[in-house]
Amino acid sequence: MQIILATILQPTSQAMQPLYADNATIWRHMSEALNQSFYRVLSLLIAILPGILAFFVALVIFTLIGMAVAGILRRFLKAIKFDDRIARIRGNSDWTPISSPTALVARSSFWASVLLGLIIGVSAFDTSYATAASLPMSLLPYLAHAIGAILLMIVGTIIARFLARSVLIGAVNAQLQYARFLSLGVKWLVLVLTAAMALDHLQIGGSVVDLAFGIIFGGIVLTLSLAVGLGSRELVSRSLGSHVERTGEQHSTESSSTSETIRHF
Amino acid sequence: MSTANTTPEISPAPVQSETCLLVLLTPMPQEQLDIVVGSLAATMPTENLVIAAPDGVSEALHPNHRLVPSPPAKASWTLTAADFVHAYELAQEHKADGVLMLGPNSVSLGADGLRDLARTVQSGAIDLVIPHYELPPHAGLVNSALLYPLTRALFAARARFPLAIDLGLSLRLAERLAGGASRFVSLNQAEAPLWPVNEAVVAGFTMKEISVGPRSLPQPTAPDLHTILPMVSGSFFADIEAKAAFWQRARKTPPAQSRIKTEHTASPEAAANIAPMLQAFQLAYTNLQSIWSLVLSPNSLLDLKRLYDSDATSFHLPESLWARIIYDFLLAYRLRTINRGHLLGALVPLYLAWVASHINWTSAGVDPEQHIEAIAMAFEQEKPYIVSRWRWPDRFNP
Repeated sequence: MQIILATILQPTSQAMQPLYADNATIWRHMSEALNQSFYRVLSLLIAILPGILAFFVALVIFTLIGMAVAGILRRFLKAIKFDDRIARIRGNSDWTPISSPTALVARSSFWASVLLGLIIGVSAFDTSYATAASLPMSLLPYLAHAIGAILLMIVGTIIARFLARSVLIGAVNAQLQYARFLSLGVKWLVLVLTAAMALDHLQIGGSVVDLAFGIIFGGIVLTLSLAVGLGSRELVSRSLGSHVERTGEQHSTESSSTSETIRHF
Repeated sequence: MSTANTTPEISPAPVQSETCLLVLLTPMPQEQLDIVVGSLAATMPTENLVIAAPDGVSEALHPNHRLVPSPPAKASWTLTAADFVHAYELAQEHKADGVLMLGPNSVSLGADGLRDLARTVQSGAIDLVIPHYELPPHAGLVNSALLYPLTRALFAARARFPLAIDLGLSLRLAERLAGGASRFVSLNQAEAPLWPVNEAVVAGFTMKEISVGPRSLPQPTAPDLHTILPMVSGSFFADIEAKAAFWQRARKTPPAQSRIKTEHTASPEAAANIAPMLQAFQLAYTNLQSIWSLVLSPNSLLDLKRLYDSDATSFHLPESLWARIIYDFLLAYRLRTINRGHLLGALVPLYLAWVASHINWTSAGVDPEQHIEAIAMAFEQEKPYIVSRWRWPDRFNP
């Protein structure tokens, strides 16, 4: 009986033995694979770490240099009364930036230095990255495009705001009732144009962006046209009517009246 | 901003017995020129008089006078930088000791007024002789609303018409003005206006205001107030900004000269003309809040809201509010809070609101000059506000 039992149990125990052995192998293989992956990630990180470090060091150093240069320039330009000289040279020019010429020069030098640091940092990163790693290189040009797109958006937003204000003030002074509507229309036209240019610069969307831009831009223009021509017909005719009535009265420097003349100068 | 005392001592012009006067005329028809030359000849001996007139004036028609051609200048409604440059060059060329510049339509200037102007310049004791015109109640409003109160408050000069188109200048003031004007000319901005009153006060030169009676002032050729007002106010603000070190010091305004008061009668029908101006202000109030809130203080905005809610008959812009508005715009001009073109464009509806308020006052029987004096006094009282904000613009401003 014992022999029988032993005979029966023997294969079972033998069968169980390989099962335990396989599990251990899998675990071993998995841990080996994980170790290798971890090792690869770590070695890749170590390989690009000097590049990242070089990027940040270059950026920080050039930012500090930029701050120093801007500070020195600001002091020097103040000492030589640069703003007064420029004001004398330019007279009453129409172009009047928000900042003073000294501040503009100092800021320009600072940001030029930061940009230089960025370029040097990226090239240092590029060098160490190319030699030490084998990741796809498409990231760097994309980064450059992203910076370009951000700059486009910033410039576009500034232009949109400037034009919106110009249109708003001009329309209010012309006493157009739909001044704000016009201003908003111009603002969004420029913003949509800027967004389309930025997306095109990023090479996102391809022809979809062109198509969408065309539709949206055309839509805004059509909306404005319809609003002015049809939707706000009465409002516009009232506004234009009062505008015409006021011509020669409000818009001139001399307004006549039944009793006496108003002369602004 | 520096507050160093840059006030020069007032130095009288050297008095000379026989002075030669150069009179610079603007283009005008022959018959008008004859009248002006005749008036001038009646004022002083012809040997002491040099009359510079533009091309086309024949000396044969005026054989007893020294007529010299003046350089061609673009016709303008006011005296421009080019006029000041030409005046000084001609004065040097003909060894004149004083210059009398007569603006467009000078034939409308009365003979007495012309004589007084010429004689005061010729006396050589005064550097700047400015006329005090007798204008209709609703004329020269930019002068009344903006230029006169600011000049009086900041430069302590009682010049009722800082943008006068007839001026008497000593040679040294003409030289100083020509120096400033030549910069504009070299920048191709020959039509820029100059501010002789500010210049004379800063230089410590003597100044006298002469009553010249009624005068027909030519209006700008550009028919658009929204172009001319920003141009004039921008030029004036720029001049104030350049002379900030001078006007930040407290100065006492000289006492007013006694003048013959003209009778003013209330004309209630004049108030009917303010409707378009009120519409302009109300439209601007609903649309330009975002811009005004960058420039004006919350208190001023609140006062403007009250004004917006008031009806046409009770539309009165308080003098102190107007003074604060102008000072805030002046400060925003200096700080470049927003683009200067936008800033001065946003001032136009507020100016129209002031005009509407002024007409309301005068149609209610208030003497226009009395109202303008009240405005000027408000500017003087609010001067500490602009000085404080000019020096510390980032301080809390309720």
